[in-house]
Amino acid sequence: MDKESGFKRYLKLDLLPTPWCPGCGNGIVLKTICQAFDELDLPKDGTVVISGIGCAGRSAGFFNLDSVHTAHGRAIPVAEGIKYANDALHVVVVSGDGDLLGIGANHLLHAIRRKTNITVVCYANEIYAMTGGQASPITPHNTKTLTTPDGNPDYPTDVQFLFKHHNGYFARTSAYHLNHMKKCITESLEFNGFSFVEVRTMCIVNYGRRLGYKNSNEMLMHYKELYKINDYAEELAQDEIGIIKSSS
Amino acid sequence: MKKQLVQGNQAIVMAAEVAGLKFYAGYPITPASEIIHELVNKKHIKVLQMEDEIASVSACIGASLAGLKAMTATSGPGFSLMQESIGLAHMMEIPLVIVNVQRVGPSTGMPTLPAQGDVIQCIHGSHGDYFPIVFYPNSVSELYAYTVMAFNAAEESMSPVILLSDGYISHLYETIMPHRDFDIKNRSRPPLGKGDRHFTGLSHEGSVPRTSDVDNYRRLITHLYEKQQLVAQRYNCYEYLECGKDTDTLLISYGALSRVAYYFKNDFALYRPIQMFPVVEEIKIIASRYKRILVMEMNTGQYVREIECILHREIEFIPILGGRIDLHEIKQKIRQKTIERNEE
Repeated sequence: MDKESGFKRYLKLDLLPTPWCPGCGNGIVLKTICQAFDELDLPKDGTVVISGIGCAGRSAGFFNLDSVHTAHGRAIPVAEGIKYANDALHVVVVSGDGDLLGIGANHLLHAIRRKTNITVVCYANEIYAMTGGQASPITPHNTKTLTTPDGNPDYPTDVQFLFKHHNGYFARTSAYHLNHMKKCITESLEFNGFSFVEVRTMCIVNYGRRLGYKNSNEMLMHYKELYKINDYAEELAQDEIGIIKSSS
Repeated sequence: MKKQLVQGNQAIVMAAEVAGLKFYAGYPITPASEIIHELVNKKHIKVLQMEDEIASVSACIGASLAGLKAMTATSGPGFSLMQESIGLAHMMEIPLVIVNVQRVGPSTGMPTLPAQGDVIQCIHGSHGDYFPIVFYPNSVSELYAYTVMAFNAAEESMSPVILLSDGYISHLYETIMPHRDFDIKNRSRPPLGKGDRHFTGLSHEGSVPRTSDVDNYRRLITHLYEKQQLVAQRYNCYEYLECGKDTDTLLISYGALSRVAYYFKNDFALYRPIQMFPVVEEIKIIASRYKRILVMEMNTGQYVREIECILHREIEFIPILGGRIDLHEIKQKIRQKTIERNEE
């Protein structure tokens, strides 16, 4: 596969390595996004990537496209400004669960409501990893993190329910299910309306390690065992990945 | 061309249109809401009502990157919310215009009444060092002219320019001559979607983030500082009125309050900064002609510190706290100040 034709044409290979830790799942997601771009042959002139802050936020700088690394939580409104200013652009947001569902959740709610025609890929590692491992809005109940030493007293946000009545595209997938992830991201890019792909991915250094996982492969295997694929369902159960699509 | 009777906020919209505004995102707030009310009727301008001021300024940053001239307008509470992204816009060098129609604060304060409490917030509201250009007109026709200047300065400096107003002049109706013979500056940077550039709030060298290269960071900040100074020097707007008779006093005021200062033009020389920041250096030469410098503003002393800083001498200060501009009260305060001075 030469650089001009394959997924690598969407990456700034000379900037590698990424700042991510060994065992991090973000690289898998980044690569799969580029593969989805490649499958659709998205034009390099005409596609822009926007990110927020955090580990996942750093991925924007590795795209061989015009990209914007915004303030914490503000990737979606910046992306909406871009899309409403130039409708011809493919606008893709890449960021983490802390950024999109914590500090930036208000904007997500309204982007869904406005049906802005952009795609959001959420690197969902269930933790604030860049800052050392504090509980995120999707850290499971009772999980120990740096800020929940006695176990998380709260329950995680389930993004799929924000899409009820709003005709968006929602998919949940995982870093283990590569083909499924690629399918979800490709479909979301083709979707005419607001689309959100939540990719469950692993952080071993600031999360899994403290939960007893020996290495990141164990976390990956956990996704393999836990998740069953249930595409085009009405609703996804906690142990399901899949696509919820409504007409746009 | 015919004269028109327009409201201050309306004049901002008329001028923004002349300057080439194509994108507006905002959130309702008194006393700035008339701006979005006017704009929604303009078919060639994309107007978004966002969920808050953070989203508003963020959307403007996005639209500006995508190549459109963008503006947002707010008042103190919304301006506070925008601060983080204003810093981002300076770091990423994003041209846009932010209108702040000041009202009485802190907090919700007195929403319908004018004040000048956001002066320092303009330059120090966001974290880190940045060097915004800030204009503060004092009439409806000046709001019209300086809105165009703000757009031009934004394009020239590639930074967010702040246009200060207040609940008084923004709600004032005056006749203006809505001329269009301005030299309009256009975007120098190609719009988003044309390359492989990376815009980031991280310290950076071109498109590459440099998270721990201190020398590079210092070069970046020096570049931002020098650029802003250079562009601001092209504007350097102020009003200076020498007194008809011999006086040793220079009275400094700005914005709505400076309209009252004209009443004292036969007693004192008057100085009014229109470009609030960077502080206009000419004040040094002007002030050197006067023994006594008197500053009045609608806060507990924000701009007076800037004046003290640049003049390195004792300044007398009269705070006219927000909400009311009353000539009788101001006359009394100036008289009181003069008596105190003579007793010393």
